[in-house]
Amino acid sequence: MSTAIAETAADRPAVAVQPLAITAVGVATPAGLGLEALGRALAEGLVGHAEEVPGEETPPPRPVRTVPDLRTAELIGRKGVRHLDRTTQLGLVACRLALDSQPGPMGERTGVVLGTSMGSIRSSSEYSMETLRQERPYLVNPSLFPNTVMNCAAGQIAIRHGLQGVNATLAGGHLAGVQALRYARNALRQGHADRLLVGGVEEFSAQAAWGWHRSGALEPEAPVGEGAAVLVVEPQAAASAAGRAALARVLACESGFAPRDGLAEGLAAVVGAALRRSGKDPADVTTVSLGSTGRTGLERVEERAVELALGGALPEQVVRVKETVGECFSADGVLQIAAVLGLWQREGRTHGGTAVVTSLSGDGLVGCAVLDTADPLG
Amino acid sequence: MPEPGARRVVITGLGAVSSAGIGVADFTASIKAGRRTTSPIAGFDTTGFPHTHAGEVHDFEPAAWLRRIEPERWGRSAQFAASAARLAVADADLTESALAAARSGSVMGTTSGESAVIEELVSAWAADGLKSLGADRVGAVPAGRIAAAVNSELGLSGEALTLATACSASNYALGYAYDMVASGEADYMLAGGADSLNRWAHAGFYRLGALAEEICRPFDADRSGILTAEGGVALLVEPYDRAVARGARIYAEVLGYSVNCDAKHMVHPDPTSIAACIRSAHRSAGVTPEDIDYICAHGTGTRTNDATEVAAAREVFGDRIPPISSIKSMIGHTMGAASGFGALICCMALYEGFLPPTAGVERVDPALGPGVDPVAGAARPARPRVVQNHGFAFGGNNAITILGRAS
Repeated sequence: MSTAIAETAADRPAVAVQPLAITAVGVATPAGLGLEALGRALAEGLVGHAEEVPGEETPPPRPVRTVPDLRTAELIGRKGVRHLDRTTQLGLVACRLALDSQPGPMGERTGVVLGTSMGSIRSSSEYSMETLRQERPYLVNPSLFPNTVMNCAAGQIAIRHGLQGVNATLAGGHLAGVQALRYARNALRQGHADRLLVGGVEEFSAQAAWGWHRSGALEPEAPVGEGAAVLVVEPQAAASAAGRAALARVLACESGFAPRDGLAEGLAAVVGAALRRSGKDPADVTTVSLGSTGRTGLERVEERAVELALGGALPEQVVRVKETVGECFSADGVLQIAAVLGLWQREGRTHGGTAVVTSLSGDGLVGCAVLDTADPLG
Repeated sequence: MPEPGARRVVITGLGAVSSAGIGVADFTASIKAGRRTTSPIAGFDTTGFPHTHAGEVHDFEPAAWLRRIEPERWGRSAQFAASAARLAVADADLTESALAAARSGSVMGTTSGESAVIEELVSAWAADGLKSLGADRVGAVPAGRIAAAVNSELGLSGEALTLATACSASNYALGYAYDMVASGEADYMLAGGADSLNRWAHAGFYRLGALAEEICRPFDADRSGILTAEGGVALLVEPYDRAVARGARIYAEVLGYSVNCDAKHMVHPDPTSIAACIRSAHRSAGVTPEDIDYICAHGTGTRTNDATEVAAAREVFGDRIPPISSIKSMIGHTMGAASGFGALICCMALYEGFLPPTAGVERVDPALGPGVDPVAGAARPARPRVVQNHGFAFGGNNAITILGRAS
């Protein structure tokens, strides 16, 4: 089976892809708000904020990482915020931070591609609980109903910024980051928007934390975290023409599917295909950003896959963002990318960096993005 | 507009799991007859709900349809999706090994993912606290498992993407599958969607005042709202040349599509933005309004939806609005699967030659203005060449696909 996967992957057309420029990044993580805070925490090995988010339910007895102060009122205003859940607020704050670091408004021809796993699990499960608790099952608050729908955050982001381009929510879980970039690349190529906010978001809740705790999918010492990360992405040629400087460019993003006993080979095949499409040699890779840190049975599989794809060893720079932010599920992928950008920015790296960002899920999804420094863009 | 040199894309297999039947033949026969298949809800306890009807798939036995995945490890939506996908592949007369050996993947839309699984977990929480959550059921929660179930069931090694763009998600999925096949990124894609009936959406729609008591009658003066529903739908998408070479039956060609966002309100759709989406879909397909022979409406059965959808059509088509009908009048609102069922019946309309009906229309609402033809009653014989399939969603997400009779 795994040989078949490798053959299928190798059979993919190795046509060059049009690179995308990442021209801004906004992050809200347990390291604080902004890319600099994340980069500093990673470089200095700082542990993220470890206080629980207040709620009615008590979380399980295990480590947590949460975003310390969202500064919601200051960043997105008070108007209409009362009914927004934490997932939506995290997404709005990360978008605000990304947009603030860019000159000029985004315009109507901007779109949103946002990764999730099941939206706000706190919102949907509490809404469901209300139907059991109330005297009449329908005595639920109608103004909270949109929060239970998975595309709520993306819709709110569009409404608050007037973004009329494609508005997609991808339920990729751990793969959401790679899938969002892949979706974005196609949407830009098809003209569904000129620029895109590409992000991932996951809120901490007692409900989700108990889910992780009971599932056995996380090592006992691995913290459950939360965060949001948003990239402003557009075709490299358009960014250059408009004089917008890029932090990095996305060369390729590939995804595939493998049986449980073939995950390492499946991921290695996808990494190989992504490097070929990027016009990169395994020896060019300076950095790998891993997604499975702390996940039972998958951490070693991911490292073995990268070693396989890169000819035997991990590259010099290995980034494990979850050591700082904890398990952030559908925010992981874009946080892995933000972590690389935060570290590169801190190192003042303007050339010579090529990063492979990998993701996998126990269900069989495997994926990878390839980034490099944006030197030619200035 | 497809890029120069892009491949033509066709639909060659159809799979449905719905209240109107399992398999495309039963589904189509039921829709053509204008048969209403909504019924009293059995899937959850409706005690205390004033309205208790929905488009439920009664007696769905996943083990009867699934050969590779173990149903108990997956949620109901994933079971619907994988079953529909297997039916679509069988309908396309494609061997499992040929499909798996090619560059094949899936893209499935959903609104509420594995909502039935979440409600099971909430029952455990209500009874014994969060510490009592069952590990197996927790593992079935992520909505990405819907497409993962399709790939697992069929042994596909290409991408497995679940789009959670609410009630336009299946059209988003079909558009993405079209791009992947047209650009040569994939050779076969299964596109569609799945959702499960759930109590919280039933309660939420009721509180929004959007739920019909027993009958969903879009475009009728006496309409009273939507009926929630569930199901799974899958369409097998492949390049035209490949379909011809293997002698496949071609239901329809995907001519183009468009997606945009109102960016105005979470629950109230905007006619101007929808009209812009229609125009853009026409440009993508290389057609003009005069070419459109039929509109498969989003048609939820609310006054707001009907007024908005007809106003948007009027902006584009003027006084010549093509016949516009809603299959939700028969199967209810299957949420993330809805525009997938719309696409499926469009394929059948093009292939067999009919216009799908709207059931339950006794008097077209005069407030919609002149020239609205909802194909009342039963299917009408016709020879549509180009049709347009609507999907609108929470968050102002619009997606429109254009399908044509294969030449």
